[in-house]
Amino acid sequence: MPDSAIRRLLEFDHQVQRDRDQSAAFLHRRDRRFALESREKGLSPGPELWLQHIRRLRPPLPTDDPLRQWRHLTTGFALVGLVTGVMAMLGLLFYDGGQRINLTVILAFVLLQCLLAAITTVQAFAGWQPWRWLLRKFSLTGSSSALRPLQPMLMARAAHAGGLMFGLAGLLTLLVLVVIQDLAFGWSTTLDTGSDSYYRLLATLATPWQNLWPAAVPDRDLVDATRFFRSNDRGNADPALWGRWWPFVAMVWSTYVILPRLVLLALAVVHPGLRARRELASHPGMIALQYRMETPALDTGNRHNDAGDQPDTNTSGQLHSLPAGQVLIRWAGAGEPELPDALSAGYRDILAAGGNASLEDDHRIIRQAGQVLAATPNPAVLVVTRSWEPPTGELADFLGEARKAWPATTLIALVPLAAEPDQPPPEHQVSQWLRFADRCGDSHIVVSTPDLASQEARIHRALQHEHRQ
Amino acid sequence: MTAPVFAVVGHPNKGKSSVVATLSQNDAIAIALEPGTTRQRQEYPLTVDGKTLYTLVDTPGFQRPRRVLEWLEAHSISASDRAETVKAFIIQHRDDGGFTDECELLTPLTEGAGIIYVVDGSVPYSAQHEAEMTILRWTGRPSLALINSIGEDDYSDTWAQALGQFFQVVRKFDAVSAPFEQHLSLLRAFGQLEPDWERPLEQATDFLLAQRRQRRTEAAAKIARTLEEMMSFREKRTLTTLQTSEMSDEELARQLRTSWYHNQRKREQQLRIAIEKLYEHHRIERQEAELEWHSEHDLFSEDSRKAWGVNRRYLATAGFGAGAVGGAGVDALTLGHSLGAGALVGGLIGAAGSYFYGDRLTLPVLNTGVLTNGLRTAVFGPVQDSQFGYVVLGRAINHWWHISHRNHAGRELLDLAPADNHWLEHLDRVNRQVIHRALERCRKQGALDDKTRFALAAAIEQAMSAYDDWLLNRT
Repeated sequence: MPDSAIRRLLEFDHQVQRDRDQSAAFLHRRDRRFALESREKGLSPGPELWLQHIRRLRPPLPTDDPLRQWRHLTTGFALVGLVTGVMAMLGLLFYDGGQRINLTVILAFVLLQCLLAAITTVQAFAGWQPWRWLLRKFSLTGSSSALRPLQPMLMARAAHAGGLMFGLAGLLTLLVLVVIQDLAFGWSTTLDTGSDSYYRLLATLATPWQNLWPAAVPDRDLVDATRFFRSNDRGNADPALWGRWWPFVAMVWSTYVILPRLVLLALAVVHPGLRARRELASHPGMIALQYRMETPALDTGNRHNDAGDQPDTNTSGQLHSLPAGQVLIRWAGAGEPELPDALSAGYRDILAAGGNASLEDDHRIIRQAGQVLAATPNPAVLVVTRSWEPPTGELADFLGEARKAWPATTLIALVPLAAEPDQPPPEHQVSQWLRFADRCGDSHIVVSTPDLASQEARIHRALQHEHRQ
Repeated sequence: MTAPVFAVVGHPNKGKSSVVATLSQNDAIAIALEPGTTRQRQEYPLTVDGKTLYTLVDTPGFQRPRRVLEWLEAHSISASDRAETVKAFIIQHRDDGGFTDECELLTPLTEGAGIIYVVDGSVPYSAQHEAEMTILRWTGRPSLALINSIGEDDYSDTWAQALGQFFQVVRKFDAVSAPFEQHLSLLRAFGQLEPDWERPLEQATDFLLAQRRQRRTEAAAKIARTLEEMMSFREKRTLTTLQTSEMSDEELARQLRTSWYHNQRKREQQLRIAIEKLYEHHRIERQEAELEWHSEHDLFSEDSRKAWGVNRRYLATAGFGAGAVGGAGVDALTLGHSLGAGALVGGLIGAAGSYFYGDRLTLPVLNTGVLTNGLRTAVFGPVQDSQFGYVVLGRAINHWWHISHRNHAGRELLDLAPADNHWLEHLDRVNRQVIHRALERCRKQGALDDKTRFALAAAIEQAMSAYDDWLLNRT
């Protein structure tokens, strides 16, 4: 397929556009895996293999040829060339019996065709697109920007195809006219040119085919005999000579109109493919693909997602006012080295449990507190904790055991303390204690914070203490 | 050789999951100020081409360490059977609801994992952790302690002294704010725990470093692409004769302007999301409202221009270079006979144009085409001056910087405070000119060719480094 390289480029570009929104990590994994599998099979992973791999895995795309519009344009140019070729030759060979067909005009027209063919090729190589506005107008520029650098070449291909058809149609018209009409060629020029120089020009032009078809090479006598002048209506030559020019004209046309177009068309067919290969190699997507295929894919293990599995941090629990307790237990070293003033007085026992203490110590503390509480009408215990250390299973176990050992009416107040004993604990730390109390499912376990600011509270507590005494 | 496994263990709520989230670049790990957020151990392997180099295991916190220690002490005769006793504990209690968390966290250790013990350095040291640390020592596994500060206070020195008695290596590592270099340094420290672990951890750090470099390059390419699209964007509308007669030019301009603004903002947001995805920050999307700039810092506001635009002197120097390149084309055409005058004159014209016309944020104007076949095309855009490009560029690089320096444990809102324009002056002149030329070309001619696009992306990558340096020197 002559345009396979262009199609590959366009398909690659299309895939790169499709991948634009994919994450870099996904693309890297996909392409690295492809490269590793290819190497395992002993294949060198290139764009063709990669596209086959991608094509195999994706649903089939509509088989819309991306070069269809260009094919249509080339066909259009060829048809136009066919028609204009016939018309041009008819115009050049127009003969009404009264005037000769001037060879000089035909040569000038052939020269113009050569020039046009050369300009077309030069613009293709230089990348000029003076006709781009026209393409845009007919929506021929295509949606893929990858096609943009190839447009001059594709345009040259269409133009050369048109030019070739123009030449062939012209030659055919010439031959038909030669058969059906008696054409009278001659040559004439206003310039003061002698037959010699004209002959030398024609002989030079005929060099390519002088061995191939000698009859198509004009001789000096013919040149001399077929010159006509503006004042001389009929010319001097034998009328039989006027028709002998047609093989020369046919060969000039074939050699200088058809052949260059044929060669340049062949070049224009190959050129876009070569350029497409170059474009593919330097395509930003290709550079990125090669990087992905050559570089090991790194996965940091971040696929696990439990962000939606957050614990419910809302709580209906409320802070209770600090009860008048008989026992204060410092849990896991809370309140060391000293308790805040609001808690430092008014308790029969201040005990320590948890933390560094052994489990046996904890049992002993529970028993000791139980004895005090059993002798009290309104038993209450304050368990002072460090607000920042989250409540753990150990505390839950301790409270569970205590609940069994202490009178059922005992109120247990958890009192979380901040790192600075004279400061209230931050709200988020208090709320974890409220949730803990909630989870205990025991209405006699509450959370309280001491009124650190109020002196009255301390006096009130001291009075209560005296009253109990 | 099996890849090393590291179990991240500790007391509840001390930032174990934060450490894992940052090191595994996962912003989807549940992190909450609630004990027991992590209920089961979860493995996070770092793989290269499917081959695991190391695995981090996030575990629940200790709930009943004293009970566990009591059991262990009651079942051990000598120091040599301690690791076996820990295994026996797990076998005996794996179906026991009371020790679920302990079994989950001790299991990887009995299977050969190294210990990463995490404490919160912002709260005072507490001896209650000693039972946990003793149990960990009983496992006999290589161990490292991390002091992760969750709050503002710093008790890390006392923690370091205490931890030093129990662990081979003690490191400070703030999971939320530690820079990337510290991540790598920490991974290397993991490798020092066992001679066999050094090589895979070295490899892992090399790969992570390469990944980071590549991400920067890709981010620059994405910013370049967005700049190109935003600078050349036009809002078009085709109107029938009836529509043309029904709508005034002012109304048409207003509608197209609104739509143009909307599209530009949308494109900028798309860039934000693409950069976040590139750095594996997927959940910042949920904070999109917070990502919005305050109204006074909106993309099109005068404040934004003042904050991110560049001054006249900058424009003049960049404009000189851009003009000189155009002028050099004239020199090339004359085969050098102009003796460089083309470049000089081009440069002067470019500098003067940029100096006099560049320092204002001119908004696009409405262009309406002629009536053809009963249809008329109205076009709004592209933007009229390159200052807009500098505003977009500054904001994009600022956002990139925050994202690339953001750890995956960080869950706070992204605060994109504007900088001032001096940062761009840290960029070398050649790259300034490349950026200026590309912005001008987008504005005038639309899409860039591949060569210019590459050059723009490379210059933006340099601008990222300049921004980094500028911030480093400023703070």
